[in-house]
Amino acid sequence: MKKKASFLKGPFSFSDGILVLVTATIIYGVFSIANESQSDFHPATQIDLSVWRLPYYTLLSAVRGTVAYFISLIFTFIVGYLMARFRLAERWMLPLLDIFQSIPVLGFLPGLILGLVAFFPKTNTGLELAAILMIFTGQVWNMTFSYYASLKSLPRDLDEASRVLGFGIKDRLLHLELPYSAVNLAWNSLLSMAGGWFFLIPCEAMTLGDKEYRLPGIGAYMDVAISQKNPLAIGMAVIAMLILIIAMDFVVWRPVLSWVRRYRLDESISARVDEPLMRVWLRESPMLRLMKLFLRRFFGRLKRPRMKISVKKFFFGKKILDFLNHLGTRCTGVFQVLGILCLGALLVGMSFKAYYLFMLLIRIPGASWLALWVDAAWTLFRVFLVLVIATAMSVPLGIWIGTSAKRVRIAQPIIQVLASFPAPMLYPLVLGLLFALSVPFSWASVILMLLGVQWYVLFNVLAGAMSISQTLNDAAWLMDFSRWDRWKFLYFPSIFPSLATAWITAAGGAWNASVVSEYLSYQGHVLQTRGLGAKLSSATVSGDFSLFAASLVLIVFIVFSLNRWVWSKIYAITQRRYRIEL
Amino acid sequence: MAVLIELKDVSKTFTLESGTELKVLDGISLTVHEDEVVALLGPSGSGKSTCLRILSGLIPANSGSVLVRGKKLQGMNPDVALVFQSFALFPWETVYQNIALALKRSELSSSEVKARVRKVIDLVGLEGFEEAYPRELSGGMKQRVGIARALVMEKPLLLLDEPCSALDILTADTLRTEMMKIFLSQKTKTRSMVLVTHHIQEAVFMASRIFVMGANPGHIRKEIINDLPYPRDDQSMSFRRMVSQLYAWITETLMPDAPISGEAISLKPRQKEGPIQPLPNIQIIEMIGLLEAIADDGGKADIFELAHGTGKDFGRTLYLVKAAELLELVDTPKQSVILTDLGRSFVAGDMNVRKRMLHELFGSLQIVQMTSQLLSKTQALRIPIQELTERVGEWLPNENPHQMVEVLISWGRFSEYFGYSDDTKEVYLDVGQETI
Repeated sequence: MKKKASFLKGPFSFSDGILVLVTATIIYGVFSIANESQSDFHPATQIDLSVWRLPYYTLLSAVRGTVAYFISLIFTFIVGYLMARFRLAERWMLPLLDIFQSIPVLGFLPGLILGLVAFFPKTNTGLELAAILMIFTGQVWNMTFSYYASLKSLPRDLDEASRVLGFGIKDRLLHLELPYSAVNLAWNSLLSMAGGWFFLIPCEAMTLGDKEYRLPGIGAYMDVAISQKNPLAIGMAVIAMLILIIAMDFVVWRPVLSWVRRYRLDESISARVDEPLMRVWLRESPMLRLMKLFLRRFFGRLKRPRMKISVKKFFFGKKILDFLNHLGTRCTGVFQVLGILCLGALLVGMSFKAYYLFMLLIRIPGASWLALWVDAAWTLFRVFLVLVIATAMSVPLGIWIGTSAKRVRIAQPIIQVLASFPAPMLYPLVLGLLFALSVPFSWASVILMLLGVQWYVLFNVLAGAMSISQTLNDAAWLMDFSRWDRWKFLYFPSIFPSLATAWITAAGGAWNASVVSEYLSYQGHVLQTRGLGAKLSSATVSGDFSLFAASLVLIVFIVFSLNRWVWSKIYAITQRRYRIEL
Repeated sequence: MAVLIELKDVSKTFTLESGTELKVLDGISLTVHEDEVVALLGPSGSGKSTCLRILSGLIPANSGSVLVRGKKLQGMNPDVALVFQSFALFPWETVYQNIALALKRSELSSSEVKARVRKVIDLVGLEGFEEAYPRELSGGMKQRVGIARALVMEKPLLLLDEPCSALDILTADTLRTEMMKIFLSQKTKTRSMVLVTHHIQEAVFMASRIFVMGANPGHIRKEIINDLPYPRDDQSMSFRRMVSQLYAWITETLMPDAPISGEAISLKPRQKEGPIQPLPNIQIIEMIGLLEAIADDGGKADIFELAHGTGKDFGRTLYLVKAAELLELVDTPKQSVILTDLGRSFVAGDMNVRKRMLHELFGSLQIVQMTSQLLSKTQALRIPIQELTERVGEWLPNENPHQMVEVLISWGRFSEYFGYSDDTKEVYLDVGQETI
């Protein structure tokens, strides 16, 4: 024990080594992406299936996902703030985001690729940006909704306190809004990252009509490995992805989730939770401590508040400064004008798009529309089936794990990693197994969908089961409930609100997953079954923009309507009936 | 004396979610001078907290004017600091940071900030807790942080929104004494304080002027000058006399004597005349507890002693007495509460007797009769709660209709008169009673 302590306190230690390694990897990754995007335009990069190239590809994908995440974060802060702050923005953007959320990632593909490649014709920047933005569209929505919901539910007394204390926009953000939303935002970030990885393959390897686009990355590697029927490469890609996700979990998510615990609102001092190793390393790293000391000395000397003010005064003069301050405190009007202008621009842009879309849609004959509706019914049926199976599997499992602290401690990190793993990468393996059992593809695609979606349900049920009231549990034991009664009167009602949340997210996820699970290439040829997702995919591949637009509009319409008129109703009922107030 | 802030004929109306408008303040005029402590004393629903928020600039008034040093107030009031009932500390900041946050907008150097925070920490007795997080502190210590945060801003007017009502009695006593000590020591820049409270002793202990407020809509009933010398001793004769004078005055205005006593009261429901009486917002079971307490005292009790003995605050006790009086179970000559004959047989009866009596008595109230008429006109003897709320809003335009319907249902359920299903959101006539 003593030996370990002295080992950690030395001038440079093991933890420093890890930190240096992580930092160097990040820097190298960023440079590589910059390098790739600056290279001459080459839409279909040759992917080298050699195992030794795999770490490089994995790193590139990791950087893309991370860059996309930071864009999501910035988008979230701006849009979430505007929606929470201004009525006008809220009224217009909330339904708009709802619609965007129901567009499958593939739906953004043609617009982004064509637009951005045309904008950067000389280099690969356009293609890289398109891939990053597509990953972004798989990540951003739930983060934005979470931040918006947090801002809307700020505790009234803290809001009033920040106003009486005269907080400006900056102080309000730093001391009230960000801390209050931190916990939810962190968990949603974790989910978002997983959502981004899910569509990694189509984001890095895209076919649009007769053109193929491919970027160096683990998704493209997988795509090539599948089409070349190379089982070794497929297996290696799966392992590399798993390592990437575990590494991200270890280096980023665990420390972050543990760190945001200090921003929770509940007043209780909860039992000590184990500190993630990465945080211990960060805290105990002698090198970091030295750096911090140095920085504090350096900036401490530079940053004298008095000087800052006088510098400002020197540049602006007192009058202008007062005016700026005045503007800062009551600039609501200016913001609103700006907001209206932005909205106006958006509306004009959208009406152009809508016109274009309309022109595409009127080319579709009536019979095709009918066929599309039949396809939609098929997919709807699959989504429903997936929800039923996922619920039947996850509810008992989730409750079994969630009702024991020991089981939770063991299972949660594993589930966290598995849930982040992009299911499409497993499709070739699972399909091989299912075909060996001679399951037809139209049923197999239900299983594929399930692979990606069940985690939402398990995650939520687990959270619900963990929050089952201990007093009610004790009461159930005292009253000597039978096993069935305990399930009926305690467990089911307790997890019902989380189950409703799970169904909403899972249904959305299943519709999105239909795009990759109803149509995919397997061992060099294309498998497809009847369904709206398959239609969308095949329309993309064949470059039939009318059909693409029609199936996209239909998917958005169905998902949006289901959310509005079915899921939200169920959610409202569960929140009212099964909320626990003790 | 210089005037710090002045309210002139201020009114405030909130629009409820259902669209109905609720007037919470009506024609409030008051002035706060330098070197005084003003208390706004009133039961819940008298709009005293709303009044405080208007003084601070947190919410604007609908009509009338708010003048700060003679100028019309726009936005936040730059002259005030506020202490919250719920403390309103930022849970993610330490005690020190919570206090220092109040100086964010000042242009002080970091060493000046440090000095000022140290000073108030010393003043309120928080030394040693600088690095603690609010969740590690007891309620009393949290409110000390709240007070320190308000003091450090060095504003001339300190607003206190029920500063002690979230604390236990002993802690509240200590904190109150210390607050006055700090204020009187003149070690701070605080010139005056405005205190919102429903606690009579607290108002008498701290304030030099007391505004008694009435409810529905909130208005000022009376201004009382309290010239007991500081520091005050809540055990002294003069203090107690002041408190009981205030009690007597409040009782008199809230419960004017009605000549009901003596006569035999029939159990027959009968139509009452005059305006419709609103139902006090209390639980029947609480009222029964009060009746039992009176019976234990031999059927007659003094209302202050009753409040003291049952451990409820005075305003709450008053409402309970009012409810019992409405049901003709007690009579209230002056400050005493006497069980009527009906009340005696009620207390003597078992639960079934009590319920049957309640059923009759409750049914004789005008608002109940109007509601049952409304219900019996329908085929299924039930109407949506929304509809009932609207009607009650018409009958009692000065009350919060949602709250009144809630009370109506709660009393109705207890006396097995009305029922309510949360699933269908309907109120129905409880006809099961008739088969008994």
